[in-house]
Amino acid sequence: MEAEVRVLFFGAAQEATGRTEETFRAGDTASLRRIITDKYPSLAIIPFRLALNRTMLKDDSDLEKNDVIAILPPFQGG
Amino acid sequence: MKNRFLVGGPITPLLISELMTLGSDDNGTGAVSVFIGKVRDDETDGKRVKAIEYSAYEDMVIKEADEIIRTVRSAFSDVRTVMIVHSVGIVKAGEASLFIMVTSGHRDQGTRGCRHTLEMVKEKLPVWKKEIY
Repeated sequence: MEAEVRVLFFGAAQEATGRTEETFRAGDTASLRRIITDKYPSLAIIPFRLALNRTMLKDDSDLEKNDVIAILPPFQGG
Repeated sequence: MKNRFLVGGPITPLLISELMTLGSDDNGTGAVSVFIGKVRDDETDGKRVKAIEYSAYEDMVIKEADEIIRTVRSAFSDVRTVMIVHSVGIVKAGEASLFIMVTSGHRDQGTRGCRHTLEMVKEKLPVWKKEIY
Protein backbone atom coordinates (compact mmCIF):
# COMPACT_ATOMS: atom_id res chain seq x y z
CA MET A 1 0.00 0.00 0.00
CA GLU A 2 1.54 3.29 -1.08
CA ALA A 3 1.58 6.25 1.27
CA GLU A 4 2.29 9.92 0.75
CA VAL A 5 5.37 10.88 2.75
CA ARG A 6 7.38 14.03 3.27
CA VAL A 7 11.06 13.75 2.31
CA LEU A 8 13.65 16.17 3.72
CA PHE A 9 17.03 16.69 2.06
CA PHE A 10 20.14 17.75 3.99
CA GLY A 11 23.78 18.63 3.32
CA ALA A 12 25.11 17.39 -0.02
CA ALA A 13 21.71 15.83 -0.80
CA GLN A 14 20.21 19.31 -0.71
CA GLU A 15 22.81 20.56 -3.18
CA ALA A 16 22.38 17.51 -5.45
CA THR A 17 18.61 17.93 -5.70
CA GLY A 18 18.27 21.70 -5.31
CA ARG A 19 15.49 21.01 -2.82
CA THR A 20 15.03 21.10 0.92
CA GLU A 21 11.91 18.91 0.88
CA GLU A 22 9.44 17.18 -1.42
CA THR A 23 6.44 14.88 -1.22
CA PHE A 24 6.63 11.34 -2.65
CA ARG A 25 4.39 8.28 -2.77
CA ALA A 26 5.91 4.90 -1.89
CA GLY A 27 5.06 1.71 -0.03
CA ASP A 28 8.37 1.24 1.76
CA THR A 29 11.77 2.88 2.16
CA ALA A 30 13.49 0.59 -0.38
CA SER A 31 11.11 1.66 -3.16
CA LEU A 32 11.22 5.27 -1.96
CA ARG A 33 15.01 5.23 -2.26
CA ARG A 34 14.72 3.96 -5.85
CA ILE A 35 12.08 6.55 -6.75
CA ILE A 36 14.18 9.40 -5.38
CA THR A 37 17.44 8.33 -7.00
CA ASP A 38 15.62 7.77 -10.33
CA LYS A 39 14.34 11.32 -10.16
CA TYR A 40 17.67 12.74 -8.96
CA PRO A 41 20.48 10.61 -10.47
CA SER A 42 23.09 12.90 -8.89
CA LEU A 43 21.97 11.54 -5.50
CA ALA A 44 23.11 8.05 -6.47
CA ILE A 45 26.78 9.02 -6.07
CA ILE A 46 26.29 10.48 -2.59
CA PRO A 47 26.38 8.05 0.31
CA PHE A 48 23.35 8.65 2.51
CA ARG A 49 21.27 7.01 5.22
CA LEU A 50 17.60 7.45 5.92
CA ALA A 51 15.84 8.57 9.08
CA LEU A 52 12.17 7.79 9.58
CA ASN A 53 10.39 10.23 11.87
CA ARG A 54 13.74 11.40 13.31
CA THR A 55 15.01 7.87 13.99
CA MET A 56 17.91 6.47 11.97
CA LEU A 57 16.80 3.44 9.95
CA LYS A 58 18.88 0.27 10.21
CA ASP A 59 16.62 -1.78 7.92
CA ASP A 60 14.03 -0.97 5.30
CA SER A 61 10.61 -0.14 6.67
CA ASP A 62 7.03 0.15 5.48
CA LEU A 63 5.75 3.69 5.12
CA GLU A 64 2.58 5.25 6.45
CA LYS A 65 0.81 8.44 5.49
CA ASN A 66 2.50 11.57 6.86
CA ASP A 67 5.75 9.79 7.71
CA VAL A 68 8.79 12.07 7.50
CA ILE A 69 11.84 10.62 5.79
CA ALA A 70 15.16 12.45 5.97
CA ILE A 71 17.99 11.93 3.47
CA LEU A 72 21.13 12.15 5.58
CA PRO A 73 24.60 12.30 3.99
CA PRO A 74 27.53 11.56 6.37
CA PHE A 75 27.46 13.89 9.37
CA GLN A 76 30.12 16.63 9.53
CA GLY A 77 29.59 18.34 12.86
CA GLY A 78 32.34 19.52 15.16
CA MET B 1 20.02 30.00 20.92
CA LYS B 2 17.77 28.27 18.33
CA ASN B 3 17.14 25.47 20.82
CA ARG B 4 19.16 24.27 23.80
CA PHE B 5 21.72 22.55 21.54
CA LEU B 6 22.01 24.91 18.56
CA VAL B 7 23.06 28.53 18.27
CA GLY B 8 22.93 30.72 15.17
CA GLY B 9 26.45 31.85 14.18
CA PRO B 10 29.66 31.39 16.18
CA ILE B 11 29.89 30.35 19.81
CA THR B 12 31.33 33.59 21.13
CA PRO B 13 33.58 33.99 24.17
CA LEU B 14 30.66 35.76 25.86
CA LEU B 15 28.34 32.80 25.23
CA ILE B 16 31.02 30.40 26.46
CA SER B 17 31.37 32.34 29.69
CA GLU B 18 27.59 32.33 30.13
CA LEU B 19 27.37 28.57 29.45
CA MET B 20 30.13 27.92 31.96
CA THR B 21 28.21 29.61 34.75
CA LEU B 22 25.33 27.13 34.32
CA GLY B 23 25.48 24.57 37.08
CA SER B 24 28.24 26.45 38.86
CA ASP B 25 26.19 26.41 42.06
CA ASP B 26 26.59 22.61 42.28
CA ASN B 27 29.17 22.28 45.05
CA GLY B 28 29.47 18.53 44.45
CA THR B 29 31.27 19.28 41.18
CA GLY B 30 35.05 18.95 41.50
CA ALA B 31 35.95 18.99 37.80
CA VAL B 32 34.72 20.91 34.76
CA SER B 33 35.95 19.48 31.44
CA VAL B 34 35.48 21.61 28.34
CA PHE B 35 36.07 21.00 24.64
CA ILE B 36 35.80 23.86 22.16
CA GLY B 37 35.91 23.12 18.43
CA LYS B 38 37.02 25.95 16.11
CA VAL B 39 36.95 26.52 12.36
CA ARG B 40 40.42 26.10 10.79
CA ASP B 41 41.60 28.12 7.78
CA ASP B 42 42.54 24.97 5.85
CA GLU B 43 43.90 25.33 2.32
CA THR B 44 42.56 23.16 -0.53
CA ASP B 45 43.71 23.53 -4.15
CA GLY B 46 45.26 26.89 -3.34
CA LYS B 47 42.07 28.21 -1.74
CA ARG B 48 41.92 29.05 1.94
CA VAL B 49 38.78 28.47 4.02
CA LYS B 50 37.33 31.79 5.16
CA ALA B 51 34.32 30.34 6.98
CA ILE B 52 32.10 27.29 7.27
CA GLU B 53 28.36 27.33 6.89
CA TYR B 54 26.77 24.70 9.14
CA SER B 55 23.29 23.27 8.65
CA ALA B 56 21.39 20.81 10.83
CA TYR B 57 18.30 18.64 11.01
CA GLU B 58 17.19 20.60 14.00
CA ASP B 59 14.41 18.31 15.29
CA MET B 60 16.71 15.30 15.13
CA VAL B 61 19.58 17.18 16.79
CA ILE B 62 17.42 17.57 19.91
CA LYS B 63 16.61 13.85 19.98
CA GLU B 64 20.19 12.70 19.30
CA ALA B 65 21.84 15.17 21.71
CA ASP B 66 19.47 14.10 24.48
CA GLU B 67 20.39 10.47 23.73
CA ILE B 68 24.14 11.28 23.78
CA ILE B 69 23.75 12.95 27.16
CA ARG B 70 21.80 9.98 28.56
CA THR B 71 24.45 7.57 27.26
CA VAL B 72 27.38 9.51 28.73
CA ARG B 73 25.68 9.96 32.09
CA SER B 74 24.92 6.24 32.34
CA ALA B 75 28.43 5.22 31.19
CA PHE B 76 30.21 7.55 33.66
CA SER B 77 28.50 7.49 37.04
CA ASP B 78 30.61 10.37 38.40
CA VAL B 79 29.44 12.71 35.60
CA ARG B 80 26.92 15.24 36.89
CA THR B 81 26.01 17.35 33.81
CA VAL B 82 26.72 17.23 30.08
CA MET B 83 26.24 20.24 27.83
CA ILE B 84 26.44 20.24 24.03
CA VAL B 85 26.09 23.39 21.89
CA HIS B 86 26.74 23.45 18.13
CA SER B 87 26.61 26.34 15.65
CA VAL B 88 24.37 26.58 12.63
CA GLY B 89 24.89 29.24 9.96
CA ILE B 90 28.18 30.92 9.16
CA VAL B 91 31.20 30.60 11.45
CA LYS B 92 34.43 32.34 10.36
CA ALA B 93 37.89 30.78 10.58
CA GLY B 94 39.17 31.21 14.12
CA GLU B 95 35.70 31.23 15.64
CA ALA B 96 34.20 28.42 17.71
CA SER B 97 31.49 26.12 16.34
CA LEU B 98 31.21 23.47 19.06
CA PHE B 99 31.13 23.66 22.85
CA ILE B 100 31.03 20.61 25.12
CA MET B 101 31.14 20.84 28.90
CA VAL B 102 31.04 17.92 31.31
CA THR B 103 30.95 18.42 35.05
CA SER B 104 31.89 15.60 37.38
CA GLY B 105 32.88 14.86 40.93
CA HIS B 106 36.46 14.03 39.92
CA ARG B 107 38.70 14.61 36.90
CA ASP B 108 39.04 11.12 35.45
CA GLN B 109 35.46 10.42 34.46
CA GLY B 110 34.95 14.07 33.54
CA THR B 111 37.76 14.18 30.99
CA ARG B 112 36.89 10.75 29.59
CA GLY B 113 33.18 11.67 29.50
CA CYS B 114 34.01 14.87 27.62
CA ARG B 115 36.03 12.95 25.01
CA HIS B 116 33.28 10.34 24.69
CA THR B 117 30.67 13.08 24.21
CA LEU B 118 32.80 14.64 21.47
CA GLU B 119 33.16 11.35 19.59
CA MET B 120 29.41 10.72 19.81
CA VAL B 121 28.65 14.25 18.59
CA LYS B 122 30.87 13.61 15.55
CA GLU B 123 29.16 10.27 14.89
CA LYS B 124 25.52 10.96 15.71
CA LEU B 125 24.64 14.65 15.49
CA PRO B 126 22.92 15.43 12.15
CA VAL B 127 25.00 18.47 11.22
CA TRP B 128 26.62 19.28 7.86
CA LYS B 129 29.13 21.85 6.72
CA LYS B 130 29.97 23.76 3.59
CA GLU B 131 33.32 25.49 3.25
CA ILE B 132 33.32 29.11 2.13
CA TYR B 133 36.53 30.26 0.38
